[in-house]
Amino acid sequence: MAHELNWGMPVILYLFLAGVGAGTVTVSASVLLRGGGGGFGGRHFAIARYGALIGPLPVIIGTSLLVFELGRPFRALNLFKLINLSPMNIGSWFLGLFIVVSVLYALLFLPWPPIIWDRLQPWRKALAWICIPLGIGVALYTGIMLGAMPSRPFWNSPILALLFLVSALSTGIALIIFAQAMLYEPPPDNPAAEKRFHQSGYLLTASDLILIGFELMVIFLFIMFAYLTVGNVKYAVAVILPGGDLAAAFWLWVVVVGLLIPIIIELIYVVPKLLYHRDYESSRTADMVISLAVLAGGFMLRYVVVIAGQVTGPVGL
Amino acid sequence: MLKVNAISAARRRFVKALAGGAAAITAAVSGTARGATGGAEKKKTKRQYGMVIDVRKCIGCHACTVACKSEFGVPLGENRSWVEYTEKGTYPNVGRSFLPRLCNHCSEPPCVKVCPTNATYRREQDGIVVIDDGLCIGCKYCIHACPYNARFLNPVTGFADKCDFCIHRVSQGVEPACVNTCVGGARIFGDLSDPGSTVSQLIAKNRVTVLRREMGTLPNVYYIGADHTDEIDASRPELRQVHVITHRKQTKRR
Repeated sequence: MAHELNWGMPVILYLFLAGVGAGTVTVSASVLLRGGGGGFGGRHFAIARYGALIGPLPVIIGTSLLVFELGRPFRALNLFKLINLSPMNIGSWFLGLFIVVSVLYALLFLPWPPIIWDRLQPWRKALAWICIPLGIGVALYTGIMLGAMPSRPFWNSPILALLFLVSALSTGIALIIFAQAMLYEPPPDNPAAEKRFHQSGYLLTASDLILIGFELMVIFLFIMFAYLTVGNVKYAVAVILPGGDLAAAFWLWVVVVGLLIPIIIELIYVVPKLLYHRDYESSRTADMVISLAVLAGGFMLRYVVVIAGQVTGPVGL
Repeated sequence: MLKVNAISAARRRFVKALAGGAAAITAAVSGTARGATGGAEKKKTKRQYGMVIDVRKCIGCHACTVACKSEFGVPLGENRSWVEYTEKGTYPNVGRSFLPRLCNHCSEPPCVKVCPTNATYRREQDGIVVIDDGLCIGCKYCIHACPYNARFLNPVTGFADKCDFCIHRVSQGVEPACVNTCVGGARIFGDLSDPGSTVSQLIAKNRVTVLRREMGTLPNVYYIGADHTDEIDASRPELRQVHVITHRKQTKRR
């Protein structure tokens, strides 16, 4: 293809990493505030802590990639000289604030001495309330940014931002599941802690299941409406339909690996509890497979979308 | 009644003062760029520069491409202005047409809408869309937003770059380099807001088209006799073969 890719791997990685990080922090803050009592000793505090501590990292890495991709890193400060209605400008403000607030939020979860630890709880809740809107903003704006251009028919869809938001939350949960599967050490002879671990696993897996189902729905709508259109959008979406250049990447990686495999494994684990009220038993291997598949799918979604938008354009002159 | 009269009298005075001020500004501005506008009427303060490209007179010689290159020292592989060749049909029923291209200086520029730092903007006084290198961060958002592929990332400066209607020449009353050099007189430059200008007369008297009208960008570069055939038309039975040739680094229209 003789197309120049003005937005290459750094931008693709940024879209993915910022989505994952924003999703992780948003999920962590939501769990802290409304996840079964919340608070220290609340049932799901451990997963809120994982999310808070990991979440800011990918966002910071992604943002650094983006800033260095400009060629003149300090030029990025020009973004903060003004506020205009460009999605990139508003997104930069959201991103800047999100990084500051989410790092502060993460610092509150460091292993402080017990005297300080308890006093930090109201601050954690206060910052969690700020993290949620900022995280949603960061996850959402990248889709709005791509969707704002009529000259890029593949991107120019209002549902793209929604797709990115759902994918960000889903990959955020996947990162927390991965962290829990990697780091969690079940304390010996403590059935209460063991039970809490499984309950948290159920909360994460069931939420991810709902989000992936929703994501499949959004993708279905995206493709169906594009297919039923005549003109620019139809030709643009042809690159991910069977026979298109990106069809394999999209259908194999995004749909099968990123969505279908995890949703099937999650159903196998969630349905017994959901329908027959059996105890949920999470398995470390299954959690690993689910989370890695969802993360790979999330990356490939950004890859396919960013490339497809650049290799297609309006038809006719 | 009396009160109303007083108000309307005051309004009349105000309007008169406003018109006087406007006239003074016009007089101050009109000294510049007279040659380019072809004797503009001296009543307006705002211009809308535009171009008419009479494709019937274009011989595809690339003089405009070269003049533009040397005017700005545009880096290798990139062009602010260029000429596309469109070949179509199958032997012996074939045709080739030329299409000189440049920034359309749209009245609704999508590039301006997306710029996060206001580095690119449409000048109020003459409608030229320009880029401020001092503000540009090189994010390439505007390059994607342009439906005409008129923008590129200048590999030397690292900032977005494109045609600026030779603002440095036009402000001195000289025609843009591409217009000046065109051997067939295919490129005509002027003030579209002046009904007496050559460009306005050409647009009024000829069948003109703009590129990608359906994008709603309201381009200010008009074409007479342009062939809008694109590669997508190759699937049509009457053409069968369409080949768009350009020497740009980005060889495909998008």
